[in-house]
Order: sequence, then C-alpha cells, then structure tokens
Amino acid sequence: MPVRHDQIYDEAIDWVVRLRDAGPDGWEAFTAWLEADPAHAAAYEEAALADQDWGELAPPPRRIAPDHVSPVPPFFGAPAPAPSRHGLTRRRWLGGAIAASLIGLVGYGTLAPDRSVYAVETGAGERRSVALADGSRIDLNGSTRLRLDRDAPRFARLEQGEALFTVVHDDRRPFEVEVAGTRLRDMGTVFNVVSDRGSLEVGVAEGAVLYDPDGEAVNLTRGMTLRRDSGGRAQLSNREPEAVAGWRDGRLVYASATVGQVAADLSRNLGVTVATTPVVERQPFTGVIILDPQPQSTIDRAAGLLGVEADRSDEGWILKSGAGETR
Amino acid sequence: MTTSGLEAVFLAHRAALQRFLRARGAGDLAEDLLQELWIRASAGASGPIAEPLAYLYRTANNLMIDRRRSGLRSAARDQEWSDSTGGAMAGISDAPSGERVLIAREALAAAEAALAALGERTEYAFRRFRIEGASQKQIADELGISLSAVEKHLQKAYRTLIDLRRQWDAD
Repeated sequence: MPVRHDQIYDEAIDWVVRLRDAGPDGWEAFTAWLEADPAHAAAYEEAALADQDWGELAPPPRRIAPDHVSPVPPFFGAPAPAPSRHGLTRRRWLGGAIAASLIGLVGYGTLAPDRSVYAVETGAGERRSVALADGSRIDLNGSTRLRLDRDAPRFARLEQGEALFTVVHDDRRPFEVEVAGTRLRDMGTVFNVVSDRGSLEVGVAEGAVLYDPDGEAVNLTRGMTLRRDSGGRAQLSNREPEAVAGWRDGRLVYASATVGQVAADLSRNLGVTVATTPVVERQPFTGVIILDPQPQSTIDRAAGLLGVEADRSDEGWILKSGAGETR
Repeated sequence: MTTSGLEAVFLAHRAALQRFLRARGAGDLAEDLLQELWIRASAGASGPIAEPLAYLYRTANNLMIDRRRSGLRSAARDQEWSDSTGGAMAGISDAPSGERVLIAREALAAAEAALAALGERTEYAFRRFRIEGASQKQIADELGISLSAVEKHLQKAYRTLIDLRRQWDAD
C-alpha cells in the first residue's frame, strides 16, 4: 500500500475534484497524467471509488455556514417547498438529527445542484421522448417544459404542458413528479400528467399513483383521473385506461369531458391556438377525436363531433355555438 | 445534441478515447470497451449535452470505475461494501453508469463521524462540493476563503475518506 500522504495521492484527489467539471482539455491532461506513471492509474482509481462511495453522505448543515453567508436562493424562483420534501428526496438513511438540520434548508429546492439540472422542452405541436438511465421513459406532448436532474434521477418537475410517464418502479426509490405545487409518487406505473397555468390533471393507465403523498395522499389506480383546477378543487373520475395515453397514438379519448378540455388538448397536440366561447366551454363531450397532422382537418372533424362551429381567426381557431344547430 | 451529433463527436475522437481507456487500465480491451462506451453513452444521452466530448470521457471514466467495482465484487471482497441492487449512482456526474452504489449504513455513519471530526469548514466544503455539487468558487465565496484553501479542505476530506474506505476493505 502506498504511503498515505504520498504526492501521487494528492494528485489523484486533485483529479477527482477537477474532473467533475472538466472540459475536453482537462480530460486530455488527465490522460497524459495517467500515462506518465503506471502508479497514477491505481491511485486515481482508489480515490475515484472512494468519491463514488461517499456520494450518499448528508449535505452540509446550513447553520455552520459563516457569518456573511447569504441564504441560498430558491431555485427557478419557485415557491419554497415544504421541508418534508427534502426528507423524501434525500436518502432514506438520513438520521433524525440530520433530517432535522434540513429544516433550515427551506427554499433549497429538491433539484439542489443546479449544475446537474436540465430542461427538456417541446415547442407547439412538437413531441419528444426522453429515455432515463433506469429504463423509465417520459413522452412529452407539445408546448411542454420539464426539468430533470442528473443527480436526482428519480425526480422530474413538470412546469407546463403534458407528459406521459412510463416508470420502472422501484419500491425503495419511488419516482416522483412535482407539478402545480403538488407531488405525485409512482406506485408501479404508466401515468399522464397535464398542467396548464396551475391546473392539474393526472390519469393512470397502469399501476397506481399517490397524489400529494404528504398531504391528502389520494391513491389513484388504473383508469382513474384526478382533475384539479387552479382554484385547488380536485375531482376524481374514471376513464378507459387506454385513453390516458391516447395522445401518443394520435387519439384523444373522452368520457364526460368538456369542450374546453378538448380545445386545450387540441391546442397542445396540434401546436395551434384553439379557444372556445364561454357558451360552449362547459358543454359535455364523450367520444374519440383522431389527430391528423393537418390542424384544419382535425379541427373541422372535431368541431363536427363536438357539435360546435370552428371559426378561423388570426390567433388560430375559436369553437363557438353552431347557430342553434346541434348534432 | 442528437444521437447522430454525439456519434459524430465520438467518431472524431475515437483514438483519444481509446488512448484514455488504455491509460485508465483497459489494456488490450480498450478497443472492445470503446464499443461498450458508445452503447452506454448513446443510451444515456437523454437530455441536452452541453459538452459532448467531456460527456464521452466521463462515461468512459465511469465505465472503468464500474468494471473495477464489479471486479472487486466478484473477488467477493467487496460484497459488504456495495450492493448492486439499489440506491443511486452516486452523483459524481451525468454520465450513465450501470452500477449502483449503496453503502452500508454503518460505513456511512463512520464516514459522517470522521468528516465531522475534521472541523466544520472542511466538513462544509466537502459536503457542499461532493453532495450538493457546488463549485470550488462558490464554496470559496461562501466561506470567504481562497480557492487554494478550498482545495486544501477538499484534499483533507478526501484523504480521510480514502483511508476510511481502506479500513472498511481490510475488515
């Protein structure tokens, strides 16, 4: 075993520290260092294994920070999460004392190391599929914005839009989605989440999802849909499980929906603005709308099914009452 | 970055990456491991990648760490040390890794204690850097110390944790 405070070990530790944020130049310099002496590789390996092993240590207790340290700003300007959220995103082994010290961390979001946080976005009418390292998959519908954290691979924040989560379940590390100020926890799952200006809709296609695990803790099972408007009222309904993920296959399936919901879905899926007049907005609808790449033909067909008239405007389309005509 | 964009970077830097794998201890397997590196890197490229070449190096580095770890495990010496069935890949990087590391509770408790014994600034610097992903510059600002002082704190913490790991290995 090499001498403890060996020069080589100091250098190896330096490399562990530097490589974390290194660019290509750093890696080339590291290659040269490894090649300079066969002992270097072994020393680095030991330091790297130790570095990886200790990745589950507790974060620093805020209170020991020196006097002039300013409070850590909240991330993304989001409202401060409840302290209990921390307990869940940190490893379970955290002892009571450490967990208690975390209460001082309010405002320090679940996506702590901002370096590792990245956004996945789609434009209007665009689709995108994200494969996660654990085999889980997230399908993003149009006009959607999602935040992921490479250091917290079982967490996602849906900031706007619609995403279908196909999660590889792990009892010990449930996947969590933060959306519209609430958390959803997967219980073995394919589920769809829609968030639009504070409203929330969660539909479960397979397995189950726990809505607001630390509060209301509503267990949503296959086929159930929870809808919450921006006023905070939640309603449960049932749906064909197949309908939940329908948009991905180009079908929008509804049971007791409203024309307003259909218009919002059409906007997101087609990448155009589809508005409604107040008169038709709350009109009920049950049926299936097939999405067509041509917005005009999809909207014409949808308008027929919805029993409304679609007017083309500069902004897009507006669904309005069909002059007394109903289908 | 699309997969094809990443592939172009990979192909352009094949030789450098292979040289890196060899220097990292891959020996004659460097050529084969290059293939494995590509599979991992393309499978893990789920989000936008700011620096594709650095990402490829990081993935190659993790590949070597994982190989080393499974080597240790099959030597049965590592059994208690890590558990491949759960836990997160320690967050050292965004590069994909097949291995998951979960340290025994007692080992972590011992490490927590050892870190605490180093003094609060060393402890703070290390936890901010390693656990929360803060940069050395950020830590220097927060503690009102120089960058080289941050380096010294990190050195001290890492040395302690390497020593601790050796002790656990020896037990």
